[in-house]
Amino acid sequence: MGLEKPVAGYATVQTWRKGLVEQWGEEPADFDRRAAMLEGFCDLAGRDPDGMIEDCTREVEGGKRIRIKARREYSEKIAEFQKTAGGDARSQGRAGNIVRSFFIHNGIFMQAGLND
Amino acid sequence: MEFKEVVGRRRSIRFFDPEKPVEREKIQVILETARLASCAVNAHWLRAIVVERDKLPPEKLNQLKTPVAALTLDLAPVHIYFFCDLGIVNKIKGSRLRELVDVGALAPSHGWSHKFVDDFVYPQILEPMTKNLQGYMAAAMADAGGAAHNALLAAFDEGLGACLNTPNPALTSQVLGAPADWVSLWVMLVGYPSESWEAGGQRPRPPFEELYFDGEYGKPFPRDPAVVERLKAAKMIQEPAPLPGRRDEIRRLSEQYGLPE
Repeated sequence: MGLEKPVAGYATVQTWRKGLVEQWGEEPADFDRRAAMLEGFCDLAGRDPDGMIEDCTREVEGGKRIRIKARREYSEKIAEFQKTAGGDARSQGRAGNIVRSFFIHNGIFMQAGLND
Repeated sequence: MEFKEVVGRRRSIRFFDPEKPVEREKIQVILETARLASCAVNAHWLRAIVVERDKLPPEKLNQLKTPVAALTLDLAPVHIYFFCDLGIVNKIKGSRLRELVDVGALAPSHGWSHKFVDDFVYPQILEPMTKNLQGYMAAAMADAGGAAHNALLAAFDEGLGACLNTPNPALTSQVLGAPADWVSLWVMLVGYPSESWEAGGQRPRPPFEELYFDGEYGKPFPRDPAVVERLKAAKMIQEPAPLPGRRDEIRRLSEQYGLPE
C-alpha cells in the first residue's frame, strides 16, 4: 500500500515532529529517516499515519478516548514490524521504537518491554 | 536518613537498573513498614504479593504486561502487588478492635469498652458497612493506600527507588492467584535507580493554599515562609523539577535501554 501523499504531509506526522522538538528542544536531525521507517510500517498496517491514529481514538463528549483494542493491535503490529526490520536485535528494537514514538507523540500511550 | 529527607527524596522512579537485585531484607523492611501503618478498626486491609521478576516464569511476566505497562515491569527487579482484602472485616468480626481495648489503646476515657465493641461495633457498624460496597470500598482502599505509602517511603529510606503503578486488576489476580475477595490496588515497582536519585527534581505540586484550609473551606491555611525555609534546610522541600540536564539524562537512559524518543 502506498501513501497518497508524502509521509511528512500528514497532520499526525507533523504532530509527531512537533512533539519531538518540544520534548528534546531541537529538531530531530534524522527525521526523514524516521518518517521513512514509519512509512514502512504504514505499508505493513495498510493504513496511512492519520488513519492509524484515528483507529486508536474515538470522540466522546468532552474529548477523545483511546480505543484499547486498536492500541493493542497496533502494539502487536509494531512488534511484528520490528522483527522484519534489518540488522541486529538492537536495530530492530530501534525501528519499533521509532513507530512507537509516532504513536506516543500523538497521544497514544504505549510501552514495550525491554526485549519486546 | 531523617524522616523529612525521606519525604523530600521520594519521587516516582521509572528508570531502574534491571540487573541490580534488591536485597530480601530490604523488601522485608518495606513490608514491615506497611504493617505498622495507621489502620481503621485495626482491620489491616492491605495485602501484598512480592514478585521477584527473575523468579517469575517468563510466561507469567508476559501475561502481566500490557501495552501501557511493559517496560517498567522489565526494568524493576521487584514488583510488590498490593491488594485490598475486602473479606477481612467479616472474617475477624471486630476481634482486632477488641485487642486494642485489651492493650489499652482504646479506653473508657474515650468511650470504648469490650461491651461496646462486642455488642455494637461489629454487628451494628462494621458488618452493615461491608454491605454498602461503594462506601466500604472507599474506606478500605483509603486505608490500604495509606499503608502502601508507608511502604513506599521505606523503600526510599533503604536507598532504593520505587514507583506506584496501576496494574490490570483482573490479570494480576489471575496470574498471582489472589483470593476472590482481594481487590487489586497498585503494584509498587522497586529497584535501584539507574537515573540519578534527584530524577530531575522534586515534582510540581499545586500551591499549598489551594489544597489546605484554615477553619473553613475557602480560607487558605497560611503558609509561613519560615517553616518553608526550615523544611528546605531539612531537605524535605528540594529543588523543583526540571533540574538542568534532565533532558540529557532521559536521552542517555533511553539510548542505554533502547527506548522510544
